[in-house]
Amino acid sequence: MIELQSVRKEYKGGIVALDGVDLKLLEGELVVLRGVSGSGKSSILSLIAGLSKPTTGEVIVDKKRISKLADHFSTLYRRENIGFIFQKYNLIPTLSVQENILLPLVPQNLPKKELESRLQRELINFNIESKRDVMVRNLSGGEQQRCAIARANINNPKIILADEPTANLDEKLSLEFIKLIKEMKSQSRTIVIATHDPLFFDLACVDRVITVKNGKLL
Amino acid sequence: MTLLVALLASTFFLSNALKLEYTKKIQNTPDIIITDTKAMRETLIDENLVSDLLSINGVSLALPRVYGAYYFSKADTIFKVIGVDEFETYPDKSLNALLLKNTLDENSMLVSKSVAKILKENYYDSYFNFVNADGTLKKVIIDKTFESKNSFREEYLIVMPKCTAKEIFSYPSSMVTDIAVMVANGEEIGFIAKKIETLLPNAKVNIKEDLLVEYENRINFKSGFFLTIFIISFFTYFVIIYDKISGLSSEEKREVGILKAIGWRVSDILNAKLYEGLIISLSAYVIGIIIAFIYVYILGAPLLKSIFLNAISLLDDCELLFRVDYETLALLFFLSVPLYIAATIIPSWSVATHEADEVMR
Repeated sequence: MIELQSVRKEYKGGIVALDGVDLKLLEGELVVLRGVSGSGKSSILSLIAGLSKPTTGEVIVDKKRISKLADHFSTLYRRENIGFIFQKYNLIPTLSVQENILLPLVPQNLPKKELESRLQRELINFNIESKRDVMVRNLSGGEQQRCAIARANINNPKIILADEPTANLDEKLSLEFIKLIKEMKSQSRTIVIATHDPLFFDLACVDRVITVKNGKLL
Repeated sequence: MTLLVALLASTFFLSNALKLEYTKKIQNTPDIIITDTKAMRETLIDENLVSDLLSINGVSLALPRVYGAYYFSKADTIFKVIGVDEFETYPDKSLNALLLKNTLDENSMLVSKSVAKILKENYYDSYFNFVNADGTLKKVIIDKTFESKNSFREEYLIVMPKCTAKEIFSYPSSMVTDIAVMVANGEEIGFIAKKIETLLPNAKVNIKEDLLVEYENRINFKSGFFLTIFIISFFTYFVIIYDKISGLSSEEKREVGILKAIGWRVSDILNAKLYEGLIISLSAYVIGIIIAFIYVYILGAPLLKSIFLNAISLLDDCELLFRVDYETLALLFFLSVPLYIAATIIPSWSVATHEADEVMR
């Protein structure tokens, strides 16, 4: 379970991204955070992922106080629990598809066989097997996104966080993404999607749509 | 980075090779060389002074020498002409060995293979007509050819009797180019040189050690042309290092942020950066050294060698001898590899210790 308790997040220069946010997300839930740019959606994802710490308040995941973890431990928490799909995919352009997908596993020193089997699984799941050795800068937007999802999924994370995942995709590719999300939900993952894309708001697979406005939940 | 290592290594290698070359060359040089001076210019010296020089205690040999440069305009080449006397012993062992094997008469000469080749190309198969300094012609028969490059370190060499050489250069009969003096006890060279200066106030007395020091000073990395290249290379290198150490580009920062976001610890990132820096700097070092080795020792340092020789006023050509110089290799290694690794790791460490979210923004 993910819980945010009276969270306030203030960035340098006094910009308040979140102001007194309380939120509870259940295991296996698919939640959509809706709101305009700058409303604070991405900050919520960032706090859940342990990418940043709240100025005040607590972020608790599976009874662990994520917001109190030292950098070293919050990284380990992220490695074991979080799959993050960034708005701009955040792939490393100088690496190939397979190198990008395997990147989260590099520090874990897994056996080669294990790496290969996980890679193969992701390449097939996300239909990018034919692009295995292609540099990601040479991929289309949809392919880049599938590569980013494969990377987020390769650690078998319990929580999938997606920040504006369809912002750079056309409708056809957005529907393809929704199909992939449905598959992930069927595997009992907790999924949080921050978006202002209306495509997500009426989906049957979405458990809750929460509106974020000016750093507060409505 | 590779090019800088290659440039620096080339300069070091060239400097070392020249030092080795001139150290070897100077081994065959007499202890003291005396020339006369007139109006501050070096000029011919009277060979009759030999008996005065031999009367100085400690002087084991005083040898009047005749030599000069002969310009063969058709081939645009300068020959070095040495005049010899079969009864004399020379400080140059290769010359002695050559004279032991061959006897020269007044109108014959020994020429190096390079000279023979040039003469043959110009239809002088068995003789050559020298144009004397006074404009007359002097026909000299080619007696034999010899290999000169390795033993004499002079490619275009002609050896002939002193009287013939004097005729070609139009020397007065009692005058010679210089007088070479050998001293029995090497530690007395300076003292004897001072005695000669007192005996011959107009003469210019050159000591072998001074020549060696002069060569070393010119070739040494502490001065001259080498210093210029050294400073330019180092300045460029430190600009690169400063640029690296002063901070990561936004792309590199983003990369560090991505790695943190997908579960890389600071130590994982620093490990990766360590390997990256090691691979880049070590490759640059190895490739740079190989390029420099090929450039200097296999290709003979074209351009750089002539610039170097001109810059240090050592105009005669020379062969670049190879010697493994561990000091140079170690110096280049420590300048390139550890510094570059440090310059790669420090900024990455400084970025990686921030929150991933902050780094990616």
